[in-house]
Amino acid sequence: MADFHGIIFAYSSAPEMGELVRTRTSSSLPFCGRYRLIDFALSSMQNAGIRDVGVIMQRDYQSLLDHLGSGKDWDMSRRRGGLRMLPPFGLPEYHTGEYIGTIEALNAVSTYIHDIPQKHVVIMRGSLAANLDLDAAIQQHLSSGAELTAVCAPGAPSETHHRFVPDADGFSSKMLFTRTGGGEGVASLEVYIISKTLLLNMMDSCAAENKRHFHRDAIAGYLQQGGRIGIYMHDGYSAAITTVADYFRANMDMLRADKRAAMFPPSRPVRTKNHEEVSTYYGEAACACNSLVADGCIIEGTVNNSILFSDVRVAPGAVLDGCIVMRGGVIGENAQLKNVIADKYTELSPYITLTGSPRLPIVVPKSSKI
Amino acid sequence: MKKSCIAMLLAGGQGSRLYALTQKVAKPSMPFGGKYRIIDFPLSNCANSGIDTVGVLTQYRPLQLNSYIGSGQAWDMDTSDGGVFILPPYQSAGEKGSWFSGTANAIYQNMSFIEMYQPQNVLILSGDHIYKMNYDLMLREHIKKGAACTISVLQVSMEEATRFGIMNVGDDGYISEFEEKPKAPKSDLASMGIYIFNWEKLRRYLIEDEADPASDKDFGKNIIPKMLANGEKLWPYRFEGYWRDVGTITSLWDANMDMLSTTLINLFDASWPIMSSWPPCPPHYIGSSAQVVHSIVTEGCVIEGRVENSVLSNSAVIKSGASVLYSVLMPGAVVEEGATVEYAILGENAVVRAGAHVGAPPDGTDAWGVATCGPDTVIRSGAQVPAGAMIYESGEV
Repeated sequence: MADFHGIIFAYSSAPEMGELVRTRTSSSLPFCGRYRLIDFALSSMQNAGIRDVGVIMQRDYQSLLDHLGSGKDWDMSRRRGGLRMLPPFGLPEYHTGEYIGTIEALNAVSTYIHDIPQKHVVIMRGSLAANLDLDAAIQQHLSSGAELTAVCAPGAPSETHHRFVPDADGFSSKMLFTRTGGGEGVASLEVYIISKTLLLNMMDSCAAENKRHFHRDAIAGYLQQGGRIGIYMHDGYSAAITTVADYFRANMDMLRADKRAAMFPPSRPVRTKNHEEVSTYYGEAACACNSLVADGCIIEGTVNNSILFSDVRVAPGAVLDGCIVMRGGVIGENAQLKNVIADKYTELSPYITLTGSPRLPIVVPKSSKI
Repeated sequence: MKKSCIAMLLAGGQGSRLYALTQKVAKPSMPFGGKYRIIDFPLSNCANSGIDTVGVLTQYRPLQLNSYIGSGQAWDMDTSDGGVFILPPYQSAGEKGSWFSGTANAIYQNMSFIEMYQPQNVLILSGDHIYKMNYDLMLREHIKKGAACTISVLQVSMEEATRFGIMNVGDDGYISEFEEKPKAPKSDLASMGIYIFNWEKLRRYLIEDEADPASDKDFGKNIIPKMLANGEKLWPYRFEGYWRDVGTITSLWDANMDMLSTTLINLFDASWPIMSSWPPCPPHYIGSSAQVVHSIVTEGCVIEGRVENSVLSNSAVIKSGASVLYSVLMPGAVVEEGATVEYAILGENAVVRAGAHVGAPPDGTDAWGVATCGPDTVIRSGAQVPAGAMIYESGEV
């Protein structure tokens, strides 16, 4: 899609994620054994033919920079355009700590937005776990003649979200702000296709009144002036991840064949940074069931209902049930782990027993030894 | 751009002893050991040894090999003053052009490529060996010994020696004699088909050999004996470690099974990574009824059945009630419900339908062999493929 530009918001870290976002933003959270959350936003854009993408970041972005590299893995290392990292530029009036809202973040990189050569922009969060058919959304946006199209999902997310109530013609002029659960309308995935002109207008008028929020200020203002929003329904999997329990549940969702199929349709592959890995080796006494396992692991113990990232070692006698073990984790012999999230490069000693619950999994911080 | 050493990788052979497996692809691009293709081993060795310029000589079915190698980025070879170059036979002005007639002729035809880099030495590699080797150590020894040619050799048993090209060594340590598959070997040093030549010397011998109508234009048969006859200094570089030629079905299967051992070759060694280039797949999924023991499994696989002592490349699918034992599954191979695959190789995207049975355990007879289903073959539901069978795509069984 040569006439579309992507903007990904990767500046925020949901504070409820605790230890998991201590050294990274939500967008670079490892997910499903192999990916970072931002891979889904980038791949959704890549699969729709979008090659010019700006990633707005603000702090703790080292892991994100490392992961994105030149953008080559998403075909976004281009001679012209391609992937652009957008850390804060340090304009004094915006130098006020963490971005409060999306509009503030956009205004902090306003010169970049002004210079976008394309007519339309797709904006989304880097932390949305969904493989979107943005090509279909873009087609609908173009054929409907909307200035602004919201990508929405059916269902009733338990986390806080905004809802749009569509009219009979599929457009919406009513937003229900900060809801939880179901109710009237459809849930916004906070993915918008918007004309560059409208986006700049929103940014300017918000800046003039010192307003910072996309939904509360920009969208509400647009609707108030009689604007109508096109609604595109995403019927695949999606999960907004803002708490540890969300994170745990979304990962465990991937153990289900139907949800995995929705997340990884062959026509829209999810690309990620390529690590140099060996195939995984299962030892003589290995026992695995209902688990997702990345390459480079050596499994000699028991792994049930779990997700293992690359280079994980599971020693003989160790038993994992309902665990997420990130890259480089070492599980000592006869360790018993239930509902544990072990961050990257953790070491769990032999004979240790850790038991969490799906609502409250135990998080072992990055590089720690227990 | 002058280089101390560049590599020329001979990847043009068909690998005809792999039959159905190499009907459509060249042997070097054969999937191997789960995550790899055979050519990953020499290419990674080059990258890890600091050799950044590699010419890959292709001739037989090069399409897949070309697209696999691409820019060489997977092996960090997409550099500005080096890289991986695919070198097919070509035509020059006023000449008819011809296929590579032998290993030496392949290099002869690409002398102009080598001259671009004016290298002091040229490393000649094969595209069908599984091993980890630091060519830089060999190069240093080659330079130190002032050799015209250094040949990498492996100590084998005297019984095995009859199957290899054997180097006899004089008192000074240099090679005194070369015998191809000797009936009564005088030494146990087998040539691994890895040579480093002083380029000036090699250039002269290639031109001379090309003019000799009686020559087979082969390194082992012609160039090396001619150098020996002329009293050139040939040094044997003794390699210790895992090295396998995977030119036959049995050796390909054997070497894949070797990957299950952690002592023969350590692919987990981060200091000498073997690099490969596959599009990323989701992690592999092990289902609730699956049993996976002593096996290698690669991303993208979905396993609901039983897998033992086997090597699974990416995206292989084992449905529930199916058994895969002592087998090698190449990318995308599918074993459906209740089917059994044992002592077998399934080519890329081969499908074994429900209830079919491929292969059988060794029965001690000479007739026994590994059963092979070529790429894209379909084994019909309930069909029996006996041990040692070779199934081609055309014949649905």
